[in-house]
Amino acid sequence: MPFVDQIILYGSLSVVGLGKNTGKTECLRYVLGRLSEMKKVVAVTSIGIDGERVDQVTSTPKPEIYLEKGTYFTTAASFYLKKRFRAEICQVDEGGTVFGKMITARALERGKMILAGPSDTDVLQQWVRQTPQRFPVDVCLVDGAISRLSPASPVVTRSMILATGAAYSANIRTLVERTRYVYDTVSLPLAEEGVRKKLEHITQGIRLISETGEITDPGVGSALVPDQVRDLTGTCGNGLYVPGVLSNALLKGLSERKEAGETRLYIRDFTRIFAEPGVFYSFLRKGGRIFQLFATRLLAICVNPVSPEGYRLNSAELVLAMQHAVEVPVYDIKRIEK
Amino acid sequence: MTFAHYTERIDGLQYLADKMELSGSRVRRYLMQLPFCTRKETLETHFDILQKALDILSDPAAQATFMQLQHLFSRVHDVRGTLRALKENRVLDEVELFEMKYLAVLCKDVAGICLTLAFPYDNPDPLEEVRMILDPDNAGTVSFHLYDSYSPALSQARHQAAATDPEKETEQWTRLQDLVAREELAVRKRLSSQLSSLYPVLSESFDSLARMELWFAKASLARRFSMVRPDLAGVRSPDDLKIEGMFNPGIADALSAMNRVFQPVSLTLGRGPCLLTGANMSGKTVVLKTLALIQVLTQFSFFVPARKASVPLVKDVFLVSGDKQDQSRGLSSFAAEMVFLDQIMARIRGGLRALVLVDEPARTTNPSEGAAILCALVEFMEDHHVMSLLSTHYGDLGLSCRKIRVSGFDSSKVKDRPDPSKMNEYINYSLVEDLSDSVPMEALRIARLLGVDESFIQSAQKYVK
Repeated sequence: MPFVDQIILYGSLSVVGLGKNTGKTECLRYVLGRLSEMKKVVAVTSIGIDGERVDQVTSTPKPEIYLEKGTYFTTAASFYLKKRFRAEICQVDEGGTVFGKMITARALERGKMILAGPSDTDVLQQWVRQTPQRFPVDVCLVDGAISRLSPASPVVTRSMILATGAAYSANIRTLVERTRYVYDTVSLPLAEEGVRKKLEHITQGIRLISETGEITDPGVGSALVPDQVRDLTGTCGNGLYVPGVLSNALLKGLSERKEAGETRLYIRDFTRIFAEPGVFYSFLRKGGRIFQLFATRLLAICVNPVSPEGYRLNSAELVLAMQHAVEVPVYDIKRIEK
Repeated sequence: MTFAHYTERIDGLQYLADKMELSGSRVRRYLMQLPFCTRKETLETHFDILQKALDILSDPAAQATFMQLQHLFSRVHDVRGTLRALKENRVLDEVELFEMKYLAVLCKDVAGICLTLAFPYDNPDPLEEVRMILDPDNAGTVSFHLYDSYSPALSQARHQAAATDPEKETEQWTRLQDLVAREELAVRKRLSSQLSSLYPVLSESFDSLARMELWFAKASLARRFSMVRPDLAGVRSPDDLKIEGMFNPGIADALSAMNRVFQPVSLTLGRGPCLLTGANMSGKTVVLKTLALIQVLTQFSFFVPARKASVPLVKDVFLVSGDKQDQSRGLSSFAAEMVFLDQIMARIRGGLRALVLVDEPARTTNPSEGAAILCALVEFMEDHHVMSLLSTHYGDLGLSCRKIRVSGFDSSKVKDRPDPSKMNEYINYSLVEDLSDSVPMEALRIARLLGVDESFIQSAQKYVK
């Protein structure tokens, strides 16, 4: 598959599931297998607990992640000590996971493992940056948490695969629409270099950006409260930077302004958008534009036509419908393995 | 008493502790546990070490090597838990065994760098024996697992397990995995017992890493603030606390942030009491705090913030300022002060040699009784030959003890319209001997400089006796 070559090019990848049982683990297993065939050294971690034999929420059997010989992996000490294959400990970090000490080890033979790696974005970011410096690793893989896109934030990995499927929605049209929305937020354009440099160190509050590029603080906090939103949308100009969460209320307020069409809105990355699709599209339709300070490269969307309840969508139909909606390759993860 | 105790009692000590570049809470814990040292020989040895560390920091040729050392310091893990396990002869798990190997490799690297830097103090043992135990194949790497070479039985069990299919021969595979786990446990037991016998050297090496880092952090602090080695000998007058050009690092930093300069001051204190007078805002409190800081720093083996300092050793240092209420015990500021002074006097009666610094004693009560309390305090300090400095606004006390005074306002510096926010520029903070019995009467003048309403000041003037 072509996207595996791209992963090597980018050096780091996160696999993010849009919901539980959307085939993220299978997708990760596929990528691991392909990279191993290509004799690439991989370091892998997960931001949630993963690799358990049985899904803890739905009690359905889950595919187990096998680590090939030579793979580096990072997990909490308590999980590491339960392993039943040979591996050597290469590094211990004193904190980092919700379970305490974080172990980075190398598999000395093939084996399966529960991965529970960095629990916050900062630690994960360090892991992605430092692992290739410390060990002879070609690609860093991050298994994204269930329904939580934030750790797959583009500031962490340079490329991304989205996993979606019947478990997310059992109706092809709804599934495609919901996936398309995430796809559209991921694909928001990158802010121009000059603006990015000025804004990237501001992580709180709200900033106004004048026509001449001047940055001022309107003093309305994070604009999460309706009153603040009203104050802000009543007085702000057309350039706005929201370093924290872009709330539904704020985006709605902005798209209801007379000058909605001239609005340039800057956000840190797509994971900060917490707005309803209707509000998001309405803002864009009126001509408003949203830029990301950090963006990742979406390589592919993998679909899983089977839901944990056993419901099965028509694979070909699903892939085709999805492919119509997005401009990245779409694969049925169960099929590409064969 | 530890460093931690004194950070609560002596203003400015915590500020310096915060300014120290330490690799983490592990080393900060050692700093907080440093004992207040009263032995001259020990302190002289410590100052020699500190001087050596300072020489290394000041040597441009040693910079690259020193950076390596600092990097190693930052990589030390807090393995107290594992060391305790060894002490109690518990069996270590694989992660803990890795930690011991990691510590051993780190200690070897640190010991090597210390040799290059010619810094022979508090060096960790290179832990050769620990490395030999945890690197049976002599691979020279820091990574660790339970090597096959530890046990033929383990190796055999692993090979059998590897040849079994966990899906098709699940029962057999599980049985073999249990066998592997049993053999691994046997190996871990053996290794842990070998390491337990090395507990003293492992523990000592772990501690010495923190002690060594502290020397360099102290040296770095001395460099940052131009601090000097205090002279403990005091050849000419062994009992005098004699300081030239002392400054308070925290206050100097705060002033510097406002583009102002701390004016260093000099003074000598002998045995017995000395009164310190001066106008409001003339820096009496700062003198007391800085003296306390210098005395305490000396006895925790730090260099001190002064141009030159001769510091006789004491058993304890007390800084009493009357503005501290003790609400937790329901005491007013006056009550808290009296109780504290009473405790100090009880200890001095018991023979404690101390430096006592009191900021305006009994200032919060009526002036006639306040002055009486001050006189009694001076008398006590005289009778017990206590090296002490007591600041006050009370005058005409008829006391025969030594008095020093802050020079105070320098009218020549006030040009045109005085700027209240620049009051400190109009003050000469140097200390002078004062033979008179009066105190500076400058309160109204200062009020005027601060821009207080003139008619009010005129009104107050009428009441001045």
